[in-house]
Amino acid sequence: MTSVPERTPAAAQPRWTWLALSFARREITNRYAGSVSGLAWTLLHPLAQLAIYAFVFSQVFRVALPPEYAGAAYTTFVALALWPWIMFTEGVQRAMGSIGANAGLIRKVAFPHRLLVYAAVLASVAVHSVGFVAVIVVLKAMGEPLRLSALPLAFILLVPYMLLAAGLGAALAAFQTMLRDVEHAVGIVLAMVLYASPILYPASLVPASLHWWLEVNPVAWLSERMREVLIGGSGLVAGDLVAAAGCAAAFAAGLWVFNRISPHFEDFL
Amino acid sequence: MVAPAVDGAALVRLEGVAKDYPKLSTGGDRLRTLAALLLRLRDLPHFTALDGIDLEVRRGESLGIVGENGAGKSTLLKIVAGVVRPTRGTARVLGRVGALLELGSGFHPDYTGRENIYLSSALMGLTRREARAKVGAIVDFADIGAHIDEPIKHYSSGMTVRLGFAVATALTPDVLITDEVLAVGDESFQKKCIQWLEQYLAGGGTLLLCSHSMYHVQTLCREALWIHHGRARLHGNAFDVTREYLTYHEEKRRAEEASGAPSAHGLRVESARIEKADGAEAARFDAGEDIVLQAIVHEPDDRAPVLMVGIVRADGTPVYGTHSNDTAFRPLRLEACRYAFRFHLKAPALIPGKYVIGAHALDAEGLRLFHSVKNEVVVTGQTRDYGLVRLEHQWLPGEEPAGR
Repeated sequence: MTSVPERTPAAAQPRWTWLALSFARREITNRYAGSVSGLAWTLLHPLAQLAIYAFVFSQVFRVALPPEYAGAAYTTFVALALWPWIMFTEGVQRAMGSIGANAGLIRKVAFPHRLLVYAAVLASVAVHSVGFVAVIVVLKAMGEPLRLSALPLAFILLVPYMLLAAGLGAALAAFQTMLRDVEHAVGIVLAMVLYASPILYPASLVPASLHWWLEVNPVAWLSERMREVLIGGSGLVAGDLVAAAGCAAAFAAGLWVFNRISPHFEDFL
Repeated sequence: MVAPAVDGAALVRLEGVAKDYPKLSTGGDRLRTLAALLLRLRDLPHFTALDGIDLEVRRGESLGIVGENGAGKSTLLKIVAGVVRPTRGTARVLGRVGALLELGSGFHPDYTGRENIYLSSALMGLTRREARAKVGAIVDFADIGAHIDEPIKHYSSGMTVRLGFAVATALTPDVLITDEVLAVGDESFQKKCIQWLEQYLAGGGTLLLCSHSMYHVQTLCREALWIHHGRARLHGNAFDVTREYLTYHEEKRRAEEASGAPSAHGLRVESARIEKADGAEAARFDAGEDIVLQAIVHEPDDRAPVLMVGIVRADGTPVYGTHSNDTAFRPLRLEACRYAFRFHLKAPALIPGKYVIGAHALDAEGLRLFHSVKNEVVVTGQTRDYGLVRLEHQWLPGEEPAGR
């Protein structure tokens, strides 16, 4: 005889938006609490990565850019896909860790746990958007063929990308509370996805037999689109809608898993 | 302060509530549990922390929850607070719930007190503007001075609980849940909290209090629930339940003593001397003369112990007993681990004869008796009364009953 546990929501429905934003703000300030230069690190970290990739791929491996990006430097080419990728991976990883990091809160206070996931992704987007825009402006000033007017469109494309991050992060956060192995596996998988997606190299270099992979990989699609929009001046295309629908579905699925397990977080933390 | 009492509105209603915690000893257990949660299966290895709890708390009621450690009190409060979802049964809670489940719950150690006030307010569903309006009152109530702008990690536990209580109460929730938090603050803050709680209850607030202090349960709660091994053992008037609970402990202790379990704790009455009101040690008193007991108790954990005083006639007939836990009394802390008590019997009505005054040291919760020291006292005088004490009375000429 098991009745379904139920809990009617409190009469006064609290406003959770403010809480999600508070979490995001805390996430940002926490990350650099105790470091002297604070948020400067958020800019330096991707810049250092960019410098390494630019050196290795343009000087050592001599990756040739396809004709449509002829006027752009390899650095510009990579930067446009790298910053969204960093937002994505950081969003996924922080979201995944958000439940464990706030175990004390979850054990003692009743609130919708998914807000922690949203906050982690939001914080990552907020922090790296600043760096993304700054880098684009600097590259433009250095004479790179970038369209600043296409920035709003680029940010619209970031929305499905980050929905995907939130969905993945939510599901992984739920698994992570029960299986501590998840975070180790995720680190490896993300590193593999970076190299398996046209972020550091153009999609044109991928052999034709693997093109199906570019078609189903949303990271590949969105990375390529970032460049097409910001360098090529492309508008939205039908494929964007498909990608957005796929990302939204991934978000919904991730949240479904999360909501199944989240009432039991307290049992495992 | 609180919404006017709606007659008979049950703010908290639990029906057959049970909570199972999964047993996760191996990796296989974890995988199985994960699959079971996703597929909504229910046959998992588990232990039951709480079972078959029916409870109804109406607006304006106050319920104390007592029980041994691990009995399931905290799980019950967490279910009411919405932190834990019951495995079976239904939990329905109406209105805004303020929960103080542990000192500093929801505080971030790296943040200042003030920043934590904002975060806690957001957790309770307030907007920034609403929170800003409350901050002044919260800071005033917490009364921790300039520390409010220091990170919480530099706070003492007393300061943290001050701030926690201030935040939880600033919103005057419909239902307030506190789990053993009053024990942490200092005496003046405890008084302030109890005052606040009494006012809150008088204004129609609803309280669920979990405490090991029978004194707090008795003063603040009209009803009490005794949870024993995850089940409701007794539910009713707070005085009845706490008395039964203490009796249970007394019996358990006797059983332990009988089985020869040593009380290794080391709590003991260092000295107990009987004095006259002027401080002179004495063993003989005139009838009606003040009797003073001065006791020093050694408490190895340096927590203020409870002293029980019992007066028995030489033949063992109990006359009167009381304990220092009955009022918000605190003994004088002479130095670490040493506490001094002064028990002043004003004009005792003891009938002349021989009595024994026992000083019994109990732990800080007033639950376990550790050590006793007994003193004999002779009350002198002449009387033709019988019994133990002289009761105030008057002899008057009788009269014909009316209507004869």
